[in-house]
Amino acid sequence: MSSLTAQQRQDLIDELPRLKRFCLSLTSDPSDADDLLQVTVERLLEKGMPADAHVAKWSHRVCRNLWIDEIRSRDVRNRYAQAEGAIEGAGTTTENSDESVQLDRVSAAMERLPPEQRAALVQVAVEGCSYAEAAAILEVPIGTIMSRVARARKALTEDLEWKAEREA
Amino acid sequence: MKDDSKNVVDMDGMRVDDDHLLSMYIDGELDAERTISLAGRLKQEPALRARLSAMENSDRLVKKLYASQSADAGQALAALIRSENVAIFKPTARWREWATGAIAASVMAVVALSLTSEQSTFNPMTMDVHLAQALEHSPSRASGWEQLDGARDFRSVLTFPAADGRWCREFMLAHNESHWRGVACRDEGTWVNQVVGSEVFLERETQYRPAGAGDTEKVARFIDETAADVALGPQQEAALIASGW
Repeated sequence: MSSLTAQQRQDLIDELPRLKRFCLSLTSDPSDADDLLQVTVERLLEKGMPADAHVAKWSHRVCRNLWIDEIRSRDVRNRYAQAEGAIEGAGTTTENSDESVQLDRVSAAMERLPPEQRAALVQVAVEGCSYAEAAAILEVPIGTIMSRVARARKALTEDLEWKAEREA
Repeated sequence: MKDDSKNVVDMDGMRVDDDHLLSMYIDGELDAERTISLAGRLKQEPALRARLSAMENSDRLVKKLYASQSADAGQALAALIRSENVAIFKPTARWREWATGAIAASVMAVVALSLTSEQSTFNPMTMDVHLAQALEHSPSRASGWEQLDGARDFRSVLTFPAADGRWCREFMLAHNESHWRGVACRDEGTWVNQVVGSEVFLERETQYRPAGAGDTEKVARFIDETAADVALGPQQEAALIASGW
């Protein structure tokens, strides 16, 4: 299991866009997502995977575990870190079109979702996974996926409606 | 939305509200019977229709958002994957240095030992009475330094319990424009360095062991593999110091 087969390498390349979106769903930060994707790929190339492994599932699991490690490290390290100011203007653009405003709103709303809800919603709503497929990737029961996706949609929709009303 | 239509039971026997039903409807996860039932309600209930439309619009925006942010995913990585040359990866990731690996604690001990044995010149991280006193009494802080002995500046970063029951402290030292980071653990009243690494090397690096790119990472890995819990809060740490550990 020291290296990837040619087929696994190709499958991994094909999986990169989806893996990038998964990273985004975990981190909610484009820079962190880029870093997480790089570290994930590096780990996969270094450690390889079983010949019969499902590349998508395996790579998502490695990615998720690396992010959990990172969260733990940050938790320990940030205990004494000075409180950072609110990230004003994150995700905003200078464009003023309705669509860009809406994307800014949804970006901010997604960032406010609990990470586990955000990850579930992305797997289902963006990647088109069934609840069973998302459950396999995120390693939780199907009922949990159903619940997380529904709560994410509810929070997201209400957040967007509230913002739209407030800014109207 | 009618009150009597809420709180129906889903396939797992859980009670779900209309938002859950609509969500499952969007995802095609409702069974045929409840799909027909919900479709009938959607025809008759404008509020339910509006809610469904709002959810579908949210989904559309989320898809668009993620499509835009992942459009350039992995061009460079794809080339690297094809290259079969893992060694050309560079440590560019901002948080990469904190990412954990499967290096055993025994390896970290070897690192610490090799540091001690290879350094014939002054090593600011060598445990002495000044450093031990600072570890024993100084509270952790997020910024600033305290002078240690005229040559070194000291900052305790955090205190955490190790899995073996010892208390450990991550700390930093500044000496001659170089920053050093390490972890020492209190072993029966004596502070012992467990792992050290340099963060900045300027002209004087040849006096020390050359900086491995992963030196700081080694410290992070040691903490990750050793800590039994998260770091103590300021009040907990102050109480621990006051009690004499």
